Amino acid sequence: MSNKQDFFGQPIVHGIATGPALISKKAISFLGDLNITTGEVTGELSDLIGKKISKTILVVPSTRGSAGAWRFIYQLKQFENHPAAIITTELPDPSVVQGAILAKIPIISNLANIISNTILNNATLKVDGRLGKVTVVDDKNNK
Amino acid sequence: MLLTSNDKAILDGSRGEVLQKAMEALVQLGEAFDAKDMVDIGYAHVHAGMALYKGDVELIEELASLGAKMKVPSSTNIANVDMGSWKQTNAPEKLVLLQKRAEVAHQSMGTGGCFTCTPYWAGHWPTWNTHMVSIESGVTIFSNSILGALSNRDGYFATYAGLTGRYPRFGYHLQENRKPTHLIKIEASPSGTSDFTALGYAIGLKIINAVPLISGLKLRPNLDELDAMGVGMATSGGMAMFVLPDVTPPYTSENISIENLPTFKINESDLRLVYDDFCNGKEQNFDIVHLGCPHASYEEMKHYAKLLNGKKISNNIELWITTNRTVREMIRNTDLIKSIESSGAKIISDTCPISCHFARTVSPDPKLGIKPPKINAVVVDSAKQARYIRDMIHCPTLFTSTEKAVESAVCGNFIPRW
Repeated sequence: MSNKQDFFGQPIVHGIATGPALISKKAISFLGDLNITTGEVTGELSDLIGKKISKTILVVPSTRGSAGAWRFIYQLKQFENHPAAIITTELPDPSVVQGAILAKIPIISNLANIISNTILNNATLKVDGRLGKVTVVDDKNNK
Repeated sequence: MLLTSNDKAILDGSRGEVLQKAMEALVQLGEAFDAKDMVDIGYAHVHAGMALYKGDVELIEELASLGAKMKVPSSTNIANVDMGSWKQTNAPEKLVLLQKRAEVAHQSMGTGGCFTCTPYWAGHWPTWNTHMVSIESGVTIFSNSILGALSNRDGYFATYAGLTGRYPRFGYHLQENRKPTHLIKIEASPSGTSDFTALGYAIGLKIINAVPLISGLKLRPNLDELDAMGVGMATSGGMAMFVLPDVTPPYTSENISIENLPTFKINESDLRLVYDDFCNGKEQNFDIVHLGCPHASYEEMKHYAKLLNGKKISNNIELWITTNRTVREMIRNTDLIKSIESSGAKIISDTCPISCHFARTVSPDPKLGIKPPKINAVVVDSAKQARYIRDMIHCPTLFTSTEKAVESAVCGNFIPRW
């Protein structure tokens, strides 16, 4: 059964996407923490190590800085390993925002803390980046 | 966001598809960062289009094929191969051919094709209060801190800004964000560019994303040393700007206020720690010695020529000197190049060790068949190059002064800074 619930954050990058939530309590670096050609998290600082971010709604508190982050986000897209959307707490770096606009990955900020305290991993989320809206399509609690 | 009638005309497609796409992206960026309007920019340092990343050269080719032209003076950032003398780096031919396609695309867009991380040594010298964009963080900190131009640490959108001549007003485009946030008291006596990269790097280990006010330097650093200090702190601390009174416009030692700033000290042992951390004892015999990070100025080339005059590089060691095309042209047919090349050193432009096919963190199109060569260790004279060799080539480094790096290349044994 579906249990629809809406959350609102700060709209950062436009676009609509649906996918399973992948929730992290740690900041992620698009330069150092990911294998671009597999979509797997390899960075030892991340609590997502070993998991794939491909096609997920990636929920992270923040992104760790690198001026080159945009290029790695665009590369994830080239290899079709990009997350479907990104939800953060802190405003991401300009470089991350530029990469996401280029790769058409919606971003909402000021929301990851609420989502990660309310929603379970793998819950199906629908993200509307323009409205800053996240809808819980299936919260996986009733399975 | 408040848009002018010209911005709106670009946005509704009246000025063509490319500019519309560029403006849509810039407006989204501006809205994400609460920019109230856009500024006119006077200079854009833009993405080269990198052959080592799948689909990346094609990004630039697509713009060029749609007839895009640079609206403002512009320059291209570093690329993945030396497009002139690529044979001396053993770059794969398929990679060279792909990289040259980006060069052609930039020529048709009217971008100044200097393919360097130091476009200022190629004559791109934005002046005080010029709004600008830069894809290279070293160019950002040089322009903000030494020239007084106004720049964020940008990504690909530097290209969109160059095409439209517009950029959202946020970050370092606002005067309120260009004031010192921390006071750094220097209690060390750095000398030469390698020490100044270490000094900058040490500052970035204490504070991040800040605007440090630098005090206590006994001498005014020369331009190469200022450049080196900036790239050091941009590498370790993500800094976009520092303030050095009497250097950074408009700050002077008379008008600067240091009250209530959190204060940190940097002493000789902080510098020494940076050198030691990049020589951690895991290194095997080194095979490459590198000078010229960021790409060397004419003054640095003179220094290298003096150090190398009459010397021979040791067998089985390569000495790479990386610079930009303009500086390379300036030394053509001079005694400087004779001193350098007769020692066996290689002069390379358009790229550097971390930007060429040595990098293991890149994601080239599998069809190119790129295989990074095995490298035991690299001797460097720059904390920036050291850090990214570790991160991108995944090999050990040996960090020392420029003079001792040259001595190491000549005698075949590593000579540490201390």
